[in-house]
Amino acid sequence: MESKIRHYSDMLKNREITCTELTEKFLSGIDTSNKDLNAYVTVTADTAIEAAKKVDEKLSRGEELSLLEGIPMTLKDNISTKGIETTCCSKILEGYKPIYNATVWEALQAQGAVLLGKTNMDEFAMGSSSETSYFGGAANPHNINHVAGGSSGGVASAVGGNIAVYGLGSDTGGSIRQPVSFCGIVGLKPTYGAVSRFGLIAYASSFDQIGPITTTVEDSAIVYDAISGYDKMDSTSQGRKGAPTVDTLKNDIKGMKIGIAREYLEGVRDEVRACIEKACEVYKSLGAEIVYFNLPALKYALPVYYILACAEASSNLGRYDGIRYGYRTDAYKDVNEMICKTRSEGFGDEVKRRIMLGTYVLSAGYYDAYYKKAQNLRGSIVNAFKNAFKTCDVILAPTVPMTAFEKGNAISDPIETYLTDICTVPVNIAGLPGVSIPCGFGENGLPIGMQLIGNTFCESTILNAAWQYENAVGSEVFKSSEYGIKL
Amino acid sequence: MVTHEDVIAIARLSKLYIPEEELDAMTKAMDDIIKFADTINNASEKGVEFDNINNLSNAFREDEVVPSYDREEILSNANDIDEGHFLVRKRV
Amino acid sequence: MKYEMVAGFETHIELATNTKIFCSCTTQFGGDPNTHCCPICIGLPGTLPKLNKQVIKYAIMAGLATNCEIANISKMDRKNYCYPDLPKAYQISQYDKPLCEHGYVQLSSGKKIRLTRIHIEEDAGKLIHKRGDTYVDYNRGGVPLIEIVSEPDIRSVEEAKEYVEKLQQIMRFIGISDCKMQEGSMRCDVNISVRPEGSDKLGTRTEIKNMNSITFIGRAMEYEFQRQVDLIESGGQVEQQTLRYDDATNTTSSMRGKEDANDYRYFRDPDLVTISVTDEEIDELRKQIPELLFQKAERYVQQFGMNEKDAANISKYRRIAEFFEEASEGVKTPKNVSNFIIGQIFRRLETEDDKEKFDISITAQQLRELVKLIDDGKVKNNLAKSTLEKMLDTGKSVTEFITESDMAGMDEGMLAELCKKAVEANPKAVSDYKAGKVKALKSMVGFVMKESRGKADASAAEAKILELIG
Repeated sequence: MESKIRHYSDMLKNREITCTELTEKFLSGIDTSNKDLNAYVTVTADTAIEAAKKVDEKLSRGEELSLLEGIPMTLKDNISTKGIETTCCSKILEGYKPIYNATVWEALQAQGAVLLGKTNMDEFAMGSSSETSYFGGAANPHNINHVAGGSSGGVASAVGGNIAVYGLGSDTGGSIRQPVSFCGIVGLKPTYGAVSRFGLIAYASSFDQIGPITTTVEDSAIVYDAISGYDKMDSTSQGRKGAPTVDTLKNDIKGMKIGIAREYLEGVRDEVRACIEKACEVYKSLGAEIVYFNLPALKYALPVYYILACAEASSNLGRYDGIRYGYRTDAYKDVNEMICKTRSEGFGDEVKRRIMLGTYVLSAGYYDAYYKKAQNLRGSIVNAFKNAFKTCDVILAPTVPMTAFEKGNAISDPIETYLTDICTVPVNIAGLPGVSIPCGFGENGLPIGMQLIGNTFCESTILNAAWQYENAVGSEVFKSSEYGIKL
Repeated sequence: MVTHEDVIAIARLSKLYIPEEELDAMTKAMDDIIKFADTINNASEKGVEFDNINNLSNAFREDEVVPSYDREEILSNANDIDEGHFLVRKRV
Repeated sequence: MKYEMVAGFETHIELATNTKIFCSCTTQFGGDPNTHCCPICIGLPGTLPKLNKQVIKYAIMAGLATNCEIANISKMDRKNYCYPDLPKAYQISQYDKPLCEHGYVQLSSGKKIRLTRIHIEEDAGKLIHKRGDTYVDYNRGGVPLIEIVSEPDIRSVEEAKEYVEKLQQIMRFIGISDCKMQEGSMRCDVNISVRPEGSDKLGTRTEIKNMNSITFIGRAMEYEFQRQVDLIESGGQVEQQTLRYDDATNTTSSMRGKEDANDYRYFRDPDLVTISVTDEEIDELRKQIPELLFQKAERYVQQFGMNEKDAANISKYRRIAEFFEEASEGVKTPKNVSNFIIGQIFRRLETEDDKEKFDISITAQQLRELVKLIDDGKVKNNLAKSTLEKMLDTGKSVTEFITESDMAGMDEGMLAELCKKAVEANPKAVSDYKAGKVKALKSMVGFVMKESRGKADASAAEAKILELIG
């Protein structure tokens, strides 16, 4: 598949289109498609045109453009953008305009990125369908009666719907990989610490990572290379280790050991398992070796994830008190009542449930049984993956056990929905990188995704394996939706 | 079993009000989630000490002053301000 | 029945770093409200803390100066509670792995007050309540604190006061805090209970919060001790609670609300990484800790024969002690140096703050030159004193005021001459003296001293004058 970023960058460089024209095309694409997709919650037309004009001026002066310069893109609404509303799609952050930029946005802006707007998500990234959003859910561009997934559903819908060339999402328990799987596109959840979290509005600090959402593997590599790096503002930041991932993207994978952990295939739909088996055949034909093994520690991954993520969330979300920013209730007797009412009116049900669960598992008497125990099991899961990578180079697994839910189904039964995160959460628990790419279609015509999981800081390896697969299967599997702009 | 009292106590710590009519639903939801979370206590596996995700230590900053933000910016997102302060006005 | 007081302290001390604990805003006291703030210290969504290296260094120094063991591995935890002065709704603190543990502070009686721990944490902002409205200022939010927790080893108000003073002196001396109680850079919570004398059981304790004056601490403890004794005597029971001391009425009252449901749900802060300190680094810091004031005072008594009070007065202030030691180098009588400091120099340094700053115009070397002249018998004490005043006024050296001829001394003939002149010039004094006014003699001696520009020996002059007027 041809890199979309290179494609549009070449058009700009060859003067086939001006950056302003390109940006206007995307803005009108948003005008047309967003009614169906509900991908964008804020469109920043004026600042986008302004940024585009700067790129055009540069071109007219005959200056060289960097690869991402002038490329229209989007950011999930939990990435702080100075002066641009950043709400996490929550009523409680209505009207909040950050006074500083997230490090990733700072980096992309410095490379001339053109921001089209902020995209829809589950409220505070808590959800799997984007339907917990205060602004309503984002639709799947392959079938708008289905959800785009979540929590980065808006970015996936915009990129899959071709109303952004690429976007940045965040992944705490699968929030990049699950929606890209639903929307038939590509998304990378980097190693914990590879990309700065500074400016990413926290859901669960020890799980959250920002990553690219694109239509091709090469685009994910390009964007990952651009946003990864050490940031002194983030104590947990380490940056990318080794050469840019684009350098090794097209390497031969002969002899690469691709591991299948049997636990990942338990409980997934037959059509999903069939796609994984087909992918194994593709890899064998490329000279890779398939190795099977067990990862019994995965059994506890889901409860471990929900206990720890909610514990951190309950603390991270304590600050929304109506004093310094965001929504404040009208009527109250005293400050404490103001805070409680503001929070009760400002947060949606799913957020409240997770805050409550987090508070519960940290509270006196329950800490050891839940939080401490889950933390120790997290240690076991980390070790289990470490051992697994002694026998294989990458792990191949389904991204989600099924295709995109019909609208309304996910939020009706929270626990059922939690269970669908089974394949994505282990990567976050262990801080590993994982890339999700399309690998086929379900009976309903909706995309199925698979993920390639690597050892820490081995983004190069998984992107290399992903690119080889993409190159082998082509547009039959990496099929574009009918929506949006195609130039 | 998660009880109404548990839910009320947890809600107080969480600074949330659970209206009377939602108490049953929230209690049920909490009980379901806790039961689900309880599966880790069936694990024969004791687990191992977990420090931090990449076992990092000593990420420090030098003690050098950087000018603070303009107060106007600091207060720009507040609902109510007065005399350079964030303000919560008395209501009746 | 006789009752005994059992008290322990939790002392918060703001560290004298340039910047806050997790961001680069200034820690300067005062400033217009919300002008020492940034997205990090007002807890804007998405911001992350980055630990100030100097905070670790200062906290370890505090631990070393109070005989603590320093932990090679420690970590930061979140203490969750929601209050408008706490912008993140959690305070980043240390729970089960503090930086320093198991220390002590020794009182002058030799008794050791054991320290449980010293940990680092962030300060909260400031709330002002006006007519029911709540004003919030986050300038102080994020200023680094150490919390020093003592064991319940204190048995009297006197011990309590000495303990607090000692902590204050130590922290100032090692330069990690100015410990200004009136500005809130040192605040004490006191846990206090009573028990029958001779009992080794602990009674139910109350906690008096946030006291910022040693006098008030004493009064509050006296009041609370008596309140608890009265309560028990009358058959009541002490209720475990948090109290506020009101200095206007000299009473304690219960603080409800904030502490109502204090389940802090401590857990490790995932935004911060492990703190690891090697033994070598600890030793390096140990070397930076100056000889402590008590050790200095002891040495002054033994080495220089100073009395304990003077030794304590000089050693109490780091800069003064250093000045004293430098000025005393190679002089025969260091006592002369300390007398000048406690006499002439202290008169110019009225407040504790002045003494702490020790901003004077002469160098230790200049004082040493003067004292050496006394040692060599070249200058008499009186002249030295007045000369020192001039030196302090101008910052100039002793040679500017005392010439070679001044130092030559005065022979008997010159003295006799001057005394004669004194008698002739003061007939009224002579007659007064003869009429029984002994004081009148002093004025004639004064005349001699003035005429000789201080060179004359006052007692010799007095004898000579008496001889002249019979």
